[in-house]
Amino acid sequence: MPRLAPQLLRHARKIDPLLPLLLRPCRDLVSAQNELRWLREHAIKTANNSEKRSRIAGWRTVLRQLVEERTTGKPLQYILGTEYFGDLEIVCYPGVLIPRQETAASVTHLVDLLRQAEDLPSELRVLDLCTGTGCIPLLFQHEFNKARHDKGRLRLLGVDISPIAVRLARYNHMRLSNMRDLQRQERQMFKPGRDNDKKKNIAKPRYSTLDGTEDIGAGDTTEFMSADVLMDPLSDRYEMDAPPFVAEMNFENQPPFWDILISNPPYISPSAFNRTTTHSVRVFEPKLALVPPPSPGKSDEEQGDSFYPRLLTIANQVEAKLVLFEVADLEQAIRVARMARDSDKWDGVEIWRDQPELESDSEDEELQEEFEVVGQGNGRSVLCWRGPATQWLGKPASTIFTRRTPKKVWLLGQELEES
Amino acid sequence: MPFSSLLRPLFRPPTSNGLTRSLRSFSSTLPCYDKPLPPRRIIPETEIIENFLRGSGPGGQKINKTSSAVQLKHIPTGVVVKSQDTRSRTQNRKIARRLLGEKLDEMELGEMSRTGLKAKIKIKRKASSVKKSRRKYRALAEGKEGGEEEGEDGDRAEDSDLMRVDELKPGDPIVEGDGKKG
Ligand SMILES: C[S@@+](CC[C@H](N)C(=O)[O-])C[C@H]1O[C@@H](n2cnc3c(N)ncnc32)[C@H](O)[C@@H]1O
Repeated sequence: MPRLAPQLLRHARKIDPLLPLLLRPCRDLVSAQNELRWLREHAIKTANNSEKRSRIAGWRTVLRQLVEERTTGKPLQYILGTEYFGDLEIVCYPGVLIPRQETAASVTHLVDLLRQAEDLPSELRVLDLCTGTGCIPLLFQHEFNKARHDKGRLRLLGVDISPIAVRLARYNHMRLSNMRDLQRQERQMFKPGRDNDKKKNIAKPRYSTLDGTEDIGAGDTTEFMSADVLMDPLSDRYEMDAPPFVAEMNFENQPPFWDILISNPPYISPSAFNRTTTHSVRVFEPKLALVPPPSPGKSDEEQGDSFYPRLLTIANQVEAKLVLFEVADLEQAIRVARMARDSDKWDGVEIWRDQPELESDSEDEELQEEFEVVGQGNGRSVLCWRGPATQWLGKPASTIFTRRTPKKVWLLGQELEES
Repeated sequence: MPFSSLLRPLFRPPTSNGLTRSLRSFSSTLPCYDKPLPPRRIIPETEIIENFLRGSGPGGQKINKTSSAVQLKHIPTGVVVKSQDTRSRTQNRKIARRLLGEKLDEMELGEMSRTGLKAKIKIKRKASSVKKSRRKYRALAEGKEGGEEEGEDGDRAEDSDLMRVDELKPGDPIVEGDGKKG
């Protein structure tokens, strides 16, 4: 890591004596100032709220401790305890990957597309494999319910190998629904022209509301379970306490068929982990969440990609109509998109960039010969659809692959010539 | 459950005041029931270029960014605003849009927007009095000579920042009042 310029440090110290410490993890003054402000707010809150600590330590002492913790490279989100994911504030905990904003952008865009769909099933089932904090299903639900009034209910299931992640996901779900309940109740309480005492809304069971518009999300089911999605169901050895995915789905009496499969699996190869991740990620976030496990005979790149074939198999088993997988970059996106296309099981495949809601730059045309690439930023996810999902997304009825890799076209030509 | 007890401090039973605040920050997309929003200028999204200032390099799992900054450029006028006050990008996007609306209003109204100007002066006064007391605090806390001088310089730099931050604060009563009149 390059050394910080002495003038920068001096300038920072003049603004606030704690600022130079934050420059180390933040690298630039503006981020350091932002983080200092957020840490200060947190320190003040902590000092005011904690029972014992407040009398021993004032917020300044708390702040200094927080800043020192941050200086070690510990992610801000683990220190503050939450991260924002779209509209939602998600609780984070060391040992579980911190949600990324790019993931939120993909999920939000997917739901935006689905909100316009006319013919969704009355119970739309969404499976999120490798769910971590549970951020994906929780945001999916939030976004989906934001504008829907007539559409059916959701069934959401998040799966993770890590028991601590599953507990955190359940906690996040509970916390968000409690907050939503409180909000609903407050709205009821302060609604003009209502006699609150008579109606006794507070005593009513959850989700029971007086007018239909506030009942949104009432019939939704959100669950989280622990299972290993990578494990071959036929092999009987498993080291971690998580059982294989298929067995656990049966055991838990989960429905066999799911409409949408989303996953942000570990996708970093061992060498990329060493070369391209930041110190704070490498040291403080769980490697289990980032790097797929090694397996004999696999190259570095294949190891990085190793969740995707398995996820595509599960997508077929649960008869998913739509899948959205997050990937590391455009190269991996293309490899995954080819896997899906070459399986001949999908009606369409496209690649999304970090901001899929934006117009693509025209310079992408060359790439677009093989796959549609949507939006701006780094290659971020792969979307595959088939059957009814073609209409959900408003795609033309047959997007059958006219696009092929140049190599294949050439081979095909050669075959034709030879025959 | 041992784990949930570890997490409990994060979900404290809030005081009545803290309750409303935490709910607001949780999701501002839900309508506010007690304070009807003042009519606000709505700028068509087609007239805006939005930039998340995320910088180049890898994203996703490889890096864990804390930047939630949002910059808007109004295409017809070239006006640029930036918001990075909160950790929530959703929130910053809303703040940036409101700021842009206010800027455009001001530009259009020009001299007419005396009320706006008055409010600005109030902000400045408030900010500088906050600064003064903070300066005092710091001098006391540092308890060293020359602290004043060092503080002066730094505070000036921060002053401009504080002005900006004040303009951006979602709950700032003066800015909200400003919006109501405009
Ligand atoms: C990159 S994180 C994604 C977390 C979350 N979905 C998000 O977007 O923030 C990958 C998650 O996969 C989980 N995981 C790793 N190996 C797994 C496996 N074999 N089966 C199921 N989950 C696994 C990790 O525990 C981790 O929570």
